[in-house]
Parts: sequence; C-alpha cells; structure tokens
Amino acid sequence: MDVTTLISVVDTVVSQPAGMVADAGISGKDVIEAGALIGAGICMGFGAIGPGIGEGFAAGKACEAIGRAPQEAGLLTRTMLIGQAVSESTGIYSLVVALLMLFVVGA
Amino acid sequence: MFEFEPHTWELLGRYLGAGIALGFGGIGAAIGMGNAAAQASHGMMRQPAVQGEMLRTMLIGQAVGSSPSIFALVLGLIILFVPAQVVVGGSFCAALVGGGLAIGFGALGSGLGCGWPAGHACDGVARNPGNSSNVTQSMIIGQAVAQSPSIFALVIGLILVFRQSPGTDALAMGIALGAGLSIGVSALGSGIGSGRTAGGAVDGISCWPQSYGTTLRTMLVGQAVCETPAIFGMLVAFIMMFALQDMDTGLIGFAKVFGAAVAVGFGGIGPGIGSGLAAGSGCAATAAKPRHDTLILRTMLIGQAVSQSTAIYALIISLTLLYVL
Repeated sequence: MDVTTLISVVDTVVSQPAGMVADAGISGKDVIEAGALIGAGICMGFGAIGPGIGEGFAAGKACEAIGRAPQEAGLLTRTMLIGQAVSESTGIYSLVVALLMLFVVGA
Repeated sequence: MFEFEPHTWELLGRYLGAGIALGFGGIGAAIGMGNAAAQASHGMMRQPAVQGEMLRTMLIGQAVGSSPSIFALVLGLIILFVPAQVVVGGSFCAALVGGGLAIGFGALGSGLGCGWPAGHACDGVARNPGNSSNVTQSMIIGQAVAQSPSIFALVIGLILVFRQSPGTDALAMGIALGAGLSIGVSALGSGIGSGRTAGGAVDGISCWPQSYGTTLRTMLVGQAVCETPAIFGMLVAFIMMFALQDMDTGLIGFAKVFGAAVAVGFGGIGPGIGSGLAAGSGCAATAAKPRHDTLILRTMLIGQAVSQSTAIYALIISLTLLYVL
C-alpha cells in the first residue's frame, strides 16, 4: 500500500463525526507524519539496545583475554574491533531507517 | 485532545505518577539487595567464623544500595501531595506522570547496579576475611558512583513535578512525558552498567588485594564512560524543558518531542549496559594483572567508545527531531 492510499484510508477513518481526533481538527496527513516522527524515535531507540550490549560483551571478553595473554594484544584488539563493527551493522540499519522516516516519509 | 474535568486530570496524574515511580523504582533495589543477601548467606556457609564481618558488609551494601528506591519513595510522595500551581489539565497530569517515569526507571537501573558490588563484596569477605576493609571501601565508592544516574533522574523529576509545565497544549504534555522518559530510561542503562563495572572491580580487589589502587582507577574511568548515555538523556530533557523554539503546539509537536525522548531514552540502555560489561571485565583483568594495566585500560576504552556509538546515533536522531525538522 503506498503512502497516498494510506493517507486516504486514515482520512476516511478519522473524518467520522464520532471520532475524537477529527473534532480537534487533525487531518490524516498529520497522523501519518506524527507516526513517522514517533516511529523514527522508536526505531533508533530500540535499535540501539542490541549493538550496545553486544559490543560491550565483545570488549569485555577482549579485556579478559588481554589480561591473560598480553603479548597477543594487537591480534585481540583487531578481532574485537572487527566483531564490534559487524555488531554495529544493525545499529546503522536503524539509523538509516530512522533518517528515511524523518526526511523521506515524514516530509 | 481529551476533555476531562480538572479533578479527573489531577487524580489521574497523581495515581499514575506515584504508581510508576514506586512500582518500577522498587524493582532494582529489591533485586540488588537480594543478591547481596544471597552472597552473604553463601559466604557464611563457607566461613562461619567471620559471619559478623560479613553481616556488616552486607548491611552497608544494602543500605547504600537501597537509596535509589528511597529517592523513588520521596518523589512518589511528592507526586501524591504536591499542591497544584497551574490550571489543572492534561499538562499537569503529564508533568506528574513524567516525574514518575524519570525516577521509576532511573531508580530501577541504579538499584540493580548497586547489587553487584554488594554481592561481590560479601563473596570477597568470605574468600579473604583479612582484606575486608579494602573490599568494603571499594564497594562503597563503586556504589556511590552507580547512584549518580538515579540522582540525575531525581533532579529532572523534581523540576517536572514542581514546575508543572506551563502551557496546556499537546506540546506541553509531550515535553513533560518526554523529559521524564528520556532521563529515566537512559539512566536505567547507565545505572546497570556502572554497577557491573563496580562489581567486576570489587571481585578483582577481593582476589588480588595488592592491586587495589590500580583497579580503583580503572573502575572510576570505566564508570565515567558508562554515565554518558544518562548525561545525553539529561541534556535532551533540559533542552525539551527550557530550550525549544518554534515548535508546532499540536500533534506534530507532541510527536517530535515524544519521538526524541524514545530515541535518546531507549537508545541509552544498550550502550550503558554494554560499556559496563566491557569495564567490569576490564577491572577484573586489571586486578589480576596490574602490570598490564595501561594495555587493558586502552582496550577497555576503545571497546566502550565503540559501544557508545549507538547512543550517539540516538542523540543525533533526537536532536534532529527537536531542531532540524
């Protein structure tokens, strides 16, 4: 369903006389824009939880390993950074989708 | 948007706000204190001869660890009984609920966090009774730093509850709810992370008492990095309350403010906990190998910095919502 169809559907729903939202003079377009704005927040907020914890987990294990084998510090730091970069990818997806919602859908 | 009588709004705000404050604010401290008691019981089984020492450590740890829930109790009572300074309506209700959200989630994280150092300290006294003063000292320092996210949340909560948001539109409601949500939920992550860091440090100090000073330094650096998401949350809360310009006062303004709060609030949970996992292991490793402390500290800081990146993305999205759009 494309955006214009969605707007017309929401317009029909909220323009019912009994609707509380319609009384306050809010159009379907406003509801969709508000949804995109809050959705961007939810997308980035919840999307940041996983990468944050995952990267911390990798960093913790790297610190433990360097404590045990300090001569391998270079190798361990490199491995940690590669693992964290992969773990970061879902955070970047969230950022991209949030920016899309703010500047493409919401606009 | 909704039409209720002032009395309905007032009671709705007081009951919801106080319920959220105490309902969530009690969870963390209760689990944390239970963890301390569990470790103390386990320790007394192993070393019945030093049970007095262990009881003392447990009680100190529980006393410090329960203060976030006392903050929640105090703010909850204020929410129930604070006199209304403004025309009572939706935004008065939202200010009280926002105060409850701030301290409820903020106290949850710090209370849970303070349980780890207390538990490891009881365990450490059982393992090495001769070292109990160092262990107790590091526990108290670690717990004190882990409290700070809940103190940030208390400050924002008090401002919300006493200022009671001037304005009666949807934007004023959004600001009150959003300021509470952004500091409360981001303080949740920072509190848990700081507690994990202190737990790792106390565990390490109890095993290797000679590396007390080095481990304490690593712990304080690690905890400071863990506080970053809570500071972002507090920054966004202050911006919302005092520095917003030219906002739509209807649904769109509400959506912008609420979206910004959800982004920076929930976006702070992961980086806070993740930095704590990194720093906890870093502190334990430093205690075991104090000779390699700079190497471990460097790795720990790189790891924490990468883990913070998603909190920075969340901050960018919320500032975009507040200022660019």
